[in-house]
Amino acid sequence: MKQIITHVTHYRYTAPVNYSIQTLRLTPRDDEHQRVLRWNIEAPGQLDKQVDAYGNITHTLTLNQPHSDIELRVSGQVLVAPLTRGVLGSEDSRLPVHAYCVPTQLTQADETILAFARSVLPNGLSTSDDILNLAAAIHARVAYVPGTTDVTTAADQVLALGLGVCQDHAHLFLACVRGLAVPARYVSGYLYTTAEHAASHAWADVWLPDVGWTSVDITNNQFASECHCRLAVGRDYDSASPVRGVRTGGGEESMEISVQVQAGAQR
Amino acid sequence: MKHPPARPSAYDEMRDGENRIRAHYQAFERWHTEQSDEAMSVRRLEADLSFRRVGITFSVAGDAAGTERLIPFDLIPRIIPADEWRLLEAGLKQRVRALNLFIRDIYHGHDIVRAGIVPAEQVFLNAQYRPEMQDVAVAEDIYCHIAGVDIVRAGAGEFYVLEDNLRVPSGVSYMLENRKMSMRLMPDAFGRIKVEPVAHYPDLLLDNLREVAPHGGDDPTVVVLTPGMYNSAYFEHAFLAQQMGVELVEGQDLFVEQNTVYMRTTRGPRKVDVIYRRLDDDFLDPLAFRADSALGVPGLLSVYRAGRVTLANAIGTGIADDKSTYLYVPDMIRFYLGEEPLLSNVPTWRCGRPDELSHVLANMHELVVKEVHGAGGYGMLVGPSASRADVEAFKDRVRANPANYIAQPTLALSTTPTYVESGIAPRHVDLRPYVLCGKEIRTVPGGLCRVALTEGSLVVNSSQGGGTKDTWVLED
Amino acid sequence: MLSRTADNLFWMCRYTERAENTARMLDVNLQMSLLPQDTQTREGSWLGVLRISELQGLYQSKYASISPHDVLQYMVRDPANSSSIYSCMRAARENARAVRGSLTTEVWETYNTTWLELLKHLHTGLLERNPGEFFEWVKFRSHLARGVTIATMLEDEALYFMRIGMHLERADNTARMLDVKFHERGGAGTQDSRAEPAGAAAVQSEFYRWSALLSSVSGLEIYRKVYRDVITPDRVAELLILHGDMPRSLLASMRAMADDLARVSNQRSTETERRAGMLCAELQYGRVEDILASGLHRYLDRFLDRINDLGNRISQDFLVPLSA
Repeated sequence: MKQIITHVTHYRYTAPVNYSIQTLRLTPRDDEHQRVLRWNIEAPGQLDKQVDAYGNITHTLTLNQPHSDIELRVSGQVLVAPLTRGVLGSEDSRLPVHAYCVPTQLTQADETILAFARSVLPNGLSTSDDILNLAAAIHARVAYVPGTTDVTTAADQVLALGLGVCQDHAHLFLACVRGLAVPARYVSGYLYTTAEHAASHAWADVWLPDVGWTSVDITNNQFASECHCRLAVGRDYDSASPVRGVRTGGGEESMEISVQVQAGAQR
Repeated sequence: MKHPPARPSAYDEMRDGENRIRAHYQAFERWHTEQSDEAMSVRRLEADLSFRRVGITFSVAGDAAGTERLIPFDLIPRIIPADEWRLLEAGLKQRVRALNLFIRDIYHGHDIVRAGIVPAEQVFLNAQYRPEMQDVAVAEDIYCHIAGVDIVRAGAGEFYVLEDNLRVPSGVSYMLENRKMSMRLMPDAFGRIKVEPVAHYPDLLLDNLREVAPHGGDDPTVVVLTPGMYNSAYFEHAFLAQQMGVELVEGQDLFVEQNTVYMRTTRGPRKVDVIYRRLDDDFLDPLAFRADSALGVPGLLSVYRAGRVTLANAIGTGIADDKSTYLYVPDMIRFYLGEEPLLSNVPTWRCGRPDELSHVLANMHELVVKEVHGAGGYGMLVGPSASRADVEAFKDRVRANPANYIAQPTLALSTTPTYVESGIAPRHVDLRPYVLCGKEIRTVPGGLCRVALTEGSLVVNSSQGGGTKDTWVLED
Repeated sequence: MLSRTADNLFWMCRYTERAENTARMLDVNLQMSLLPQDTQTREGSWLGVLRISELQGLYQSKYASISPHDVLQYMVRDPANSSSIYSCMRAARENARAVRGSLTTEVWETYNTTWLELLKHLHTGLLERNPGEFFEWVKFRSHLARGVTIATMLEDEALYFMRIGMHLERADNTARMLDVKFHERGGAGTQDSRAEPAGAAAVQSEFYRWSALLSSVSGLEIYRKVYRDVITPDRVAELLILHGDMPRSLLASMRAMADDLARVSNQRSTETERRAGMLCAELQYGRVEDILASGLHRYLDRFLDRINDLGNRISQDFLVPLSA
């Protein structure tokens, strides 16, 4: 599918910010299943490009003069190929997959999570059916309700609450999979959808030895497909989020986001 | 595995088995006997007052009042003859060279893992492993610029490496201040006995730091990054910065702009090339690591990955200095250098292995059991000096999480005469020599000698009431 | 040097100067209160002390009435008052501690000893027993710190920023004190200072009033030397605002500050230096008749605005910005 994407993020501050630095992970990756036709980021300052530890294309934006708002405009077109049962295969990456087995603060598996994972997958996780089953179980267990959680909500809280949005589904899924000693990673990106779910989306990849990476969308209870445009991967939201920043000054921050993903005509 | 005897009388640094003064202590002993008790008393008091005035104190963990304590300094030096030091030095250089190669390997091609020598889980599931360092080029391929290797002597007098400290090793300022103090208080002893100097450490360090500046800089700017004056080792940070003639900065003094690190000065921003950082990895960059760290510099990691600033020590060296990786160091020396280790590890049992676990549980009252992820002497059981109740309680802890524990025989650490309440008596000591890696690997003769002040105690950590001594390596 | 270090040194000296000026002012007030006065005048003068530091609101929310005892407690001991002598000396010492490495041993030990002695004096009740002696002690410790600094510190940026801080604070404090003291009139609001005194008693009280004000800035002998005549308010104003040779005058402080700003000048500070220079020039070529004609209060008010602006700009250009 050719996805036509516009994404505007606008931060506003109640007092002037003296200095701010942001890491943007807003550039889709070029790989076997995804080709970037056109992509552009507009930002109020110079963008320094770099590829991070997980292979993501990142830009660093530093603003060293007093400012009271930051607007980021992203637009472009990406050609996303269809996937068979979410299989991405292997990647050309020297980062050992073990690195994706390590629990993080947001994806720590406590006794409850481990019990939940084992109850869904008593024989562990080794097939793509297992992946789908776990996703379905979480989909059933955690209702999609925006506004009940935030970016600091950890997997154990999600399970206890039974409510959340896509990144919470992903974090809980990751906690379960890693708890079963299987590597898995967080995926941030765009979703072409006509449903109510936001177009800025999060899902997960799971590593199976003979298959490579398999991509699954827990929130929508299905494998990832040509509707999913990948922006970044990481261990969790903190290492894959679209925008992560630090500032001095600024008072209170408020943020507005608008994302539009449309299907384009394909030749 | 060699088993040094469990509770022998310890090797004494000064006197041999027949109570004769060893050759390298004779000159000191002669001088010492010439001194009156009162003269020595006055000197000891002077040392105390002087250290307190200069502020060579630190705060003890768990001390609610956060009061500053003096680390007691004992005037009687630990003396090491030249030939012994040569052996130690060769072993240290070999070990640190191999460790640097290991770290480089882990963050590049993983050869030692693919060769099946170190298990992948040991490395990549380790909490200290930093994926951010994969394939990052560091200046001169040096990851650990400053290493502190803890050495003990046991049994019949052979040396063992107790532990490697490759992250933010501290204590060198005490080594330097102790020497200054000794020279001031016992000048004629130094007149008679030729002791290798140590005062050039800061110069060596500065040289090394400048050598690893990113290319393209003529006169690189080096800074010492400190968490601030509430950190227990702050004195050392300030001391080293001052001795090297470089700025002592905190995170808030630095900022990143256009992929460069700058220092905020009254003359405007000044580019920084090398950061000798005394902060743990986790706190270095709130944009990449712990978001709640106010001590770091947001954006530092990206400048580092771009090769536009050097950090000493590099990010991710912790992969090589934890107690479980320690077990593989002799294998590293063989694998990377094709040599046999000159310095031995202490024989160690891994509780994560079932057969070794049962040995440990059966003999815990005779062993020293340590947490793999712990520091400073806490989370440790010294079997022979623990009560039966404590031993049983510790067994439960080990059973609950065996992979987090290792055990070693109770080494009777060597002793050195030390001033105590009742006069002079032997007390257990260890040694932390400092190894500096630049284009060459160099050491400063001796190191920080720590002494357990309580009779029979083997715990030398300053944070638990140990003291220090000056270490004299004799000239040939 | 590091901006943060310079910032600590700057504030270390500002707080020391503030403590000294507070002591001077309280001392004068105390001496004045020994003279025959009606209750209203007495209360008015203590209220004035609070108004100088804009503290009357905070004071009145804590204390029921204005009594010398309470005001002294508030202005000397109260840690909740950030401008009390206690708070100033504590802040000075904390700033010194943060940059101990940049100070000579003598300077550090001076600040540290000052703090320890303050605690001792407060504990033994010196303020209550002999307030004059206490205030002398505060002034003396400030003199000592200055002397030790000049004698032992290297002549470099550290010294310049310390001086800038001191002079900025001095100019600010002196202008505030002038403003309040000139316009005191038995507790009433501001009045034109050229109102004629009436009667012999009034003449006497006027004399003590102006001589007390001059004493508080160590200016009584200087006045006599310069004017060799009776004390008049016009000349007091002229001496303390426009007379460059009088060390605590606004002109003397501004000149010293402008000189030191030129020494530390950087790429950002051109506008700040320009403003400081302009203020200096106005003081240099000002005439007391013009000042009094346009209104002393208005003049001093405007001066304080400009000093405050300079302080903010100095923090922004060299040090740690105040809003950070």
